[in-house]
Amino acid sequence: MSSLRYGIGLLTLMAALLVAPLVASAHPHVWVKAASELIYAPDGTVTGVRHTWTFDDMFSTYALQGIETKTKGVYTREELAPLAQTNVDSLKEFGFFSFAKADGKKQKFNEPTDYYLEYKDAALVLHFVLPFRTPFKSRQMQLEIFDPSYFVDFQLQDKDPIKLVNAPAACTMAIERPTDGSAAAKKLGEDNFLDGSNANFGAMFANKVTVNCP
Amino acid sequence: MMLRSNDAIRRMAVWSILLVAAAISVDGVLHAALAQNPFGGSRAVPDQQVGGIIGWILAKQSQFYRAMSSTIRAAKNDGSAVWTLLGISFAYGIFHAAGPGHGKAVISSYLVANEETARRGIVLSFASALAQALVAVVIVGIGAWLLNVTAKTMCGAERVIEIASYGLIAAFGARLVWLKGGGFFRALSASRASHAQLAPALATKAAHHQAAAHDYDGVAHLHARTVHHHDAHPHHSHDHHHHDGHCDHCGHAHGPEPSELAGPGGWKRGLAAVLAVGVRPCSGAILVLVFALAQGLFWAGAAATFVMGLGTAITVAAIATLAVSAKSVARRLAAGRDGGGAVIMRGMEFAAAGLVLLLGAGLLLGYVAAERVTCF
Repeated sequence: MSSLRYGIGLLTLMAALLVAPLVASAHPHVWVKAASELIYAPDGTVTGVRHTWTFDDMFSTYALQGIETKTKGVYTREELAPLAQTNVDSLKEFGFFSFAKADGKKQKFNEPTDYYLEYKDAALVLHFVLPFRTPFKSRQMQLEIFDPSYFVDFQLQDKDPIKLVNAPAACTMAIERPTDGSAAAKKLGEDNFLDGSNANFGAMFANKVTVNCP
Repeated sequence: MMLRSNDAIRRMAVWSILLVAAAISVDGVLHAALAQNPFGGSRAVPDQQVGGIIGWILAKQSQFYRAMSSTIRAAKNDGSAVWTLLGISFAYGIFHAAGPGHGKAVISSYLVANEETARRGIVLSFASALAQALVAVVIVGIGAWLLNVTAKTMCGAERVIEIASYGLIAAFGARLVWLKGGGFFRALSASRASHAQLAPALATKAAHHQAAAHDYDGVAHLHARTVHHHDAHPHHSHDHHHHDGHCDHCGHAHGPEPSELAGPGGWKRGLAAVLAVGVRPCSGAILVLVFALAQGLFWAGAAATFVMGLGTAITVAAIATLAVSAKSVARRLAAGRDGGGAVIMRGMEFAAAGLVLLLGAGLLLGYVAAERVTCF
């Protein structure tokens, strides 16, 4: 039966050749400049995250397709309300691309509140608040903003991307950001992947905020 | 003696390749499956291994894709920028198809499952890529340009098309599995029979064939078996049946007659593959087209989409040719083996058919990640 084994070997080889291309992740089609605020209650618990996401030129144009306006090229908040609704509804499927941990424990979000879109400098800006399901106090909290499948490329805005709102005075914050998507892919691609070490592909492009409150 | 050591070396080579291949594919399938549900459970981040080459391909794709919007904007004032746009689109198409995508996997598997030529593989690759481009242009042309529907509506249409496409792939795969399964089990039982001694052989053969006939009790298969046994019968040629030969030298792989390949039925089968893969448009093309439309340059967007398709076709055709060549190498290797040749070849076809079915089902059920539709 060695011929059978031989055959199975060839088959597996073929299968691997054919499946291998599927393994790779997509490249981004949407780019987001993100700015976020961590909102604290007076007693020092974190209640939620307020996101302000600015979409790229091409996606903004795509999303605005077919939306009727009174004045051409001017989109009011009311005119954009249905689109904002679509945005938050769809983002739910992806966990709002926001991943939070309190002292290493994953935190869940409730449905977004206070969401709206504005059209500014030929770009759509989505504002929304993600309340934590259970507000928490922790010595260390982490928030990551990224798309694991890398369909959306998130970058923190250059200036003051993260703000702590009403946080206890002793809290300190550290931000890690991927420099540039393609540069990171190239650098990590050559150094980290070829030596066989495991690497988180989407996480390579993650924006990570760590807040320590002693 | 010589033959023996050759055989051993060959087997060792195959096994080592197999080990690596199996590791890659198991790893890949697992990751693809886990990546689908990254937000549930404890696994927030799918750890996907990306090789340096794929990392580079991804970086290139991003670069070309991002350049497209600025080039389209520039083309509003400067007509010559359209040429730049076409160049970028072509390059993007080539790199895009080298990245992830089920299309080339389906086409390559189809080619392996059937006795197809490289020439037909190339034709199928081009046909499906151009069909894809055409669908994108039609969706945006009718949806956005003529009817001025919202992105949400277009995306809904894309999703319906997507499900239809995956369903077609699964159905296509199921049909291939049904057809190729018959060939494989026939070859398997024939091979087993030929291994046995002469006198008992007849008995075993009969038993095996009976068992196989019961497992695979389709009318077509029973009929095929009749042809198989009695060479006096005229060779009954279904458009899809590639009989693995006549029993006077059981176990030898016989390809289909060239006339069968070139027949109109063959192209019809190919068309099914083109349709299954080609109806699903590329998310990138849709975005580019809508963007071009908003700039009043729909025609430039459409031209870019077709050039993108051309680039994609070249890469897919290269991969398809590789698949066809791999099969002929396998055929040559298998030909040297007594008895097992037919089993290997039919088994390979059966497995390739199974892969099409798995891909279709996986895509349909969300276990295999495909390029996302831009729906938010």
